[in-house]
Order: sequence, then C-alpha cells, then structure tokens
Amino acid sequence: MTARHLLLSACVVFALSVVVAAQGPPRAWWAPGQGTQLSDFATYNNDRGELGVLNASGRLDTRGHPFFEPIGTNGRACVTCHQPGDAMALSVRSVRERWAATGGKDPLFAPVDGMNCPNLPPDDPRSHSLLLERGLIRVSLPWPPTRPDGTRIDPEFTIDVVRDPSGCNTDPVYGLQSANPSISVFRRPRVAANTKYTTHQNFGVSPFIGKNGMPAATDPLTGKPTSMNLMSDARAPTLAVQAEDAAKNHLQIKASLSAEQIARIVEFERQVYVAQAISTSAGNLVEADGPPALGPRNLAAGDAGVLGNNTTRYVFPLGGKWAHLDRTSDAAENVRSAARESIARGHDVFMFRTFWIKDSMHLNSVGLGNPTKRTCATCHGMHMTGMDTANGWMDIGTTNLPWASEVPLNPWNEAKPQMPLFRVTCKPTVKEHPFLGRVIYTQDPGRALISGQCNDVGTIVMQQFRGLSARAPYFSNGSATTLRELVDFYDRRYNIGYSEQEKQDLVNFLGAL
Amino acid sequence: MNAHRVTGGVALLLAGWLASGAVLTIRADEQRKNFVSCPIVRDTASVPCWLTEYEGEMYFLTVQSDVTAPVTPPWLGHRVLVEGTVSTEPRICGGIVLKPVHLSVLPERDASCNTMLPAEERYNLTFEPPRPPGPSKGRLAFDNSPPAAPLAPAASTREFVIRYDFDRLVGFSHAGLLSQVLDFARTGDAREIEIVGYRGAVLLSNGQTMVEEQTIGKQRAEQVSMLLQGANLRGPSYKVSWQDQSANASGVDDYLSRRVVVTVRR
Repeated sequence: MTARHLLLSACVVFALSVVVAAQGPPRAWWAPGQGTQLSDFATYNNDRGELGVLNASGRLDTRGHPFFEPIGTNGRACVTCHQPGDAMALSVRSVRERWAATGGKDPLFAPVDGMNCPNLPPDDPRSHSLLLERGLIRVSLPWPPTRPDGTRIDPEFTIDVVRDPSGCNTDPVYGLQSANPSISVFRRPRVAANTKYTTHQNFGVSPFIGKNGMPAATDPLTGKPTSMNLMSDARAPTLAVQAEDAAKNHLQIKASLSAEQIARIVEFERQVYVAQAISTSAGNLVEADGPPALGPRNLAAGDAGVLGNNTTRYVFPLGGKWAHLDRTSDAAENVRSAARESIARGHDVFMFRTFWIKDSMHLNSVGLGNPTKRTCATCHGMHMTGMDTANGWMDIGTTNLPWASEVPLNPWNEAKPQMPLFRVTCKPTVKEHPFLGRVIYTQDPGRALISGQCNDVGTIVMQQFRGLSARAPYFSNGSATTLRELVDFYDRRYNIGYSEQEKQDLVNFLGAL
Repeated sequence: MNAHRVTGGVALLLAGWLASGAVLTIRADEQRKNFVSCPIVRDTASVPCWLTEYEGEMYFLTVQSDVTAPVTPPWLGHRVLVEGTVSTEPRICGGIVLKPVHLSVLPERDASCNTMLPAEERYNLTFEPPRPPGPSKGRLAFDNSPPAAPLAPAASTREFVIRYDFDRLVGFSHAGLLSQVLDFARTGDAREIEIVGYRGAVLLSNGQTMVEEQTIGKQRAEQVSMLLQGANLRGPSYKVSWQDQSANASGVDDYLSRRVVVTVRR
C-alpha cells in the first residue's frame, strides 16, 4: 500500500466519522449471535422519531435462532442486513456506524458482497464505497439467466459493460467474460417484515402475470402462483427460497439450510411488523384512537393483498383523524397539531393529487394508456403497504437512463460515477422497447436479468412504504438520500410541479409510515 | 343450397335480396373507419379523452379508464390502428364517436405522435366518468370479465379463442383467458391441446390492406404453447400449427382474424 493510498484511506475514514458524528448517537446494532431477547414490542430511534417493531407471536429468544445466529462462514447472520432498528432492513447510517465502530472489521463488510468487488483491498473504505455511501450490497447474477429448473434462457438482448467503477463486471474472475459469466448489480437490502403483505395470495395473484401474460413464478412446495413481490427482481418466489438464496450468497453457508432452519426463519419473518411509532414533530402515532393505518399493530391487524386505490378502503387509511385540529393555548400542542395536519395533507397528495404518468413500462403498457393522468396511489395501491398488489416491477427511471441519477461530468467536478452502466441491445428478432427503443443504457437491468426480456430492462419491484424513516437511502440503488430527494425524483421524472407545501406534506406523510 | 336447383322465381327474389344486401353492406361499410393515425389525448376537468384525427375529422376513441375497460387507451409515441364504426352518439370531447372500436398500438415508436391538448370548458364530460383519475369509489370501472361458462361435467372438448392487437403477441389482457384454459385443462385432466395460430390482415378505409408480419401466426401459436407448459401444464400432448397465409381482409371485423384457437380435449 502506498503512502498516497494510506492518506486517501485515512481521509475517507475521517470523513465518515464526521458524518456519523453529525447524525447523533449510534443506534442499537444487533450483532449476530448476541443472544439477547427480541421483545414483543420495541422502539428504536431514528431521525424522525422512533420505529416500532412488533413481534406478534410474543418475545423471541434469539439464542440459536437461525435468523440471528452466524450460520454461514463469514460471521454474518440474516439480522446483519435486516436490523430491527432499521425496519428489518439496513440504513446507510448503521453501515457507517459499524465501520466507525469496528474499523471495517464487522462481518457486514465481508468481501463477497460488502465490497464493490471481492478482489479489492478489504481494509480500504474505498473498496466498500457503495455500501458506505449508498447502503448497497453487491448482487452477482449469472448471465445468461436460468429458469428455476436450471435450463438456460435465451435472452432477448445482448448486454455490454459501458462503465465499471467497481471493476467487478470486467474482472476476469467475477465479470461478464469470466468462466462463470456474471453481472454485478448493487442493491439495497429490503424489509424482512410485514411479510403477510409481500407474500399474500389475494388480489392479482394469478397463474399468469397480469402485466405481460407470462407464467407467474410458483411456490416450489405447493405449485401455487406467487405475488412475486419479495425481491427487487422477483427472483425468489417465497420466503423460504429467499432464505436459501441469501444463506448461500450472502452468508456463504457451506451446506444448505436445514428444513428446520428455513421453517424457523420463515416463521419469524411472518410475525414481525415494523412501522414508525413516534414522530418527533407529530407525537405518538399509535394512540388508541389514532389513524388506523399507522403503527405496527395496525399493520398486523390489516387485511393483506387488498387493492386500496379506492375511497372505500384507502391504501393508508387515516380515518379523517388529523385533517383539521383545533388550536389551543398550548404552543407545543399546536406544533404537534400542525405536524399532524401536514401528515393528513400529505396523505391527500399521495391519494388524490393527479399528474401525467408517462413512458413507464408495466404501468403505461398495461391498459391505462400513455400517458395516464393518475396519482401516486395508482401504482402504490396495496392496502397498508403502498406496494403493487402483485408482480410489482415497473420502470420509473430509477436505474434506466435518461432518468437515473448520474454524476454530472464536467471539468469542474471531481466526483466520479459510482454505479456501473450497461448497454442493453434488444435483438432484431424481438420488438424494440416501446418507450426506450432498441438500445437502452441502465445502471441495473432489474427484472430483465431474470426474465431475459427487453421490456423488463430497468424494471424494479417496488418496495413497501413502511418504516421509511428508519432505512434511508431510498430506491433499489440508494439514489435518493432522503425522503425529500425521493419526492424530488418523482417531481422531476413526471413533471408534476408539486408546490413546496405539497412536497413537505408528502415527506411528512411518508416519514410517519 | 344448390344454386343449380333454384327455380327462376326464387332466383329472382334471391338476386333482389342479395342486391339489397349489397347496398346495405356498402352503406354499413361507409360507417366503418379503419385507419392508422396518431392518438391525441385531451385533458378535461375529470378524465382525459382519447381522440384521433383522420381525413380532417376528429374521432373519439375512449376515455381514460382502468384495466377492466373493454377499450383501453392508446399510447403517445406510437401510432394506433383504429378499426371502428361511426355511431350515432353525440360527439364526445369534440370527436365523432367510434363505437364499437378496436385499437392496436403499433409496435414501432413514432415521436411525432405527441399531441396533448389542454382542458377546455366546452369539453366537459357530461357522463359519470367510468373511473376518475384518482382513486375509485371502491369499484372497477367495468366488470367485463367473461362469465365462467357453465360446463357440463361430461364436456370433453372446449375451444378458446385468444385475440390479439395487430402484430402483437400475448400481453396484459390475456392473463385471464390463459388462466381459463389452464383451469379447464387441469380440472379435466386434459389429454391433448391443439393450438392454431393465425395471421391477420385489415382492409383500411383508404383501400390499402395492412397485413401482419409473415411469421406472426407461428410466433403466437408457439408462444401460447410455451406459456401453458411454463405454467406447468405438461401432462397433455401438444399439437401446434399455424397459418402463414394471412386472412382475407374485408374491412369488416377484420380484427377477428388476429387470433389463436386453443382446443383442449379431455
């Protein structure tokens, strides 16, 4: 290691420690194998208040539990990337705190996927820049893709690496031209909670996908079609399959998970609920007579797999509780009332504020017309979670150019792109992508890496809206650092023209979920 | 009927009937409008209207609705094949109402199809929007899902006709019908599935004929076979064929020629 290299690394570590210090005291980190109990209801601090974590089945003794024990070879457990305090996901704040606390020795930073590429120097924070700066885990997928039965899919497109900041996609061992051709994309861990919603068997679940008529992925145990809403590319149809996939690829387990281990992991994930419980500005979100959408207990009691894009059963029912609150002589009470009214207004922006949704694959292409004048709730329609009810992959431009966030390149900007960039060329034998044409540039082909279909390039399964305050940054590639940046992305993408008040209200509403 | 056996008087009557029928056909055909054009979307205070212009006249195609609508809106950025009949209904959003109408979004992109018109007070819709632009009142706009056909327990064969937009394969609107095929085959332990793909053609109002791509019948038949087997319907034997020859286009209901016929035998 050269002196310049050491100096640069020291600078990065110092910068990270400054960022961590600015974010306040560290949050509780759940270490693999720590063996403590997870209470039936616990709260965890975050920037906007406190997250509530509910174990509907009661207090859990985590000793020997496969979700909490380091059952792989790299010291990690499921809980490493699905932290209770981070809404059973992983915030970049926690990542930075772990780096600061352990000097990068925490199993979270394992070379397999906690580094930009496994062949980089492990102690250098720059080797982990995508995890440290955007909370991204490397996901290596075989190319071309294969079906669940192992047969190879003939993809509708060719793929080239245009830009490879991690070096992994052009690496002779790990890259596209290696002996085992693979594509590395970088994605945020998803919420391992509220799973009765993400795995429901209700509205929209069908043997054929409602967006394109293709066969839906089935549960290998029952043969039943699934909602395909678990992962960002829908590659794992069930919690059990996801657990096996994660144990192999993220925990580097040597043998397969046992049936008992899978059952215990799934059982835990089926009963844990997360949602914001306390708002710094709006106070207690889970009062007995409060809005019926808020808090983890309401989530546990809600109906799963129900379309909520209607006025008889809202996506996030607030029950009109906070629309207009009387002011009193208590200034603090008035501040709280104003914050609650902002949340209620934000709900109405989400539900009723129309805008033109244009050129979004699997939204405009599924019978609504292009463009369609609708609202946030049109796509984010599942009751209580704001996901699509089934088969929720769409391209809203978070990873596809020209809308994906890219570093502005000019002689006065020293920042360099962090994300890979791929050029996807649809073969002459298939029709071109209806909105993007035959050549598509993308940071992450998303569902297309599994289906091999041109129309799926850059489509990502939308995430649930719960516990957002605990798990920044947002979007599958972590491109929105804050909820405000998330709202700004939509405002820019669809030329919505939100007022400043609408943006703030929407942020407050999302932050209360 | 054997024409050679027709008596003189009857032949005269038949000739007259045929002649009058021909006139009626010509008049009916004048009401048929088959053409390719750019769609236009007009905003209103409620739901947007979808229109198109052809030979200097504005036609109303549909309103924005939801996926349950029998006619779903076209796409800006693409031309649309319109196969419609001029109705006697009052104009909507300034356009002559085509009803029934079949719309096919053409696969090729066309950046010139980009007209969005602003709302004008004179174009307020006077009917309840089937589906408002925001959340509905708890119902879907239409309930046009085909009723489950009552099947006699002994029914051993059933034919399913899958219809397509021009030059298109299976899409979002086919999931329901494919599920019906699957259900029928599974519940009866089907032994054979015969799939025949067809290639359509449309006689346009300007006299030109639009023919689907050469191999579309093959593509459709093979895709349906692949989809059913992909849904784990692997027990029956599959008999897959297609017709490369396009159907004869008459300008009347030519959309019916774009199809796959699936016959399930149990």
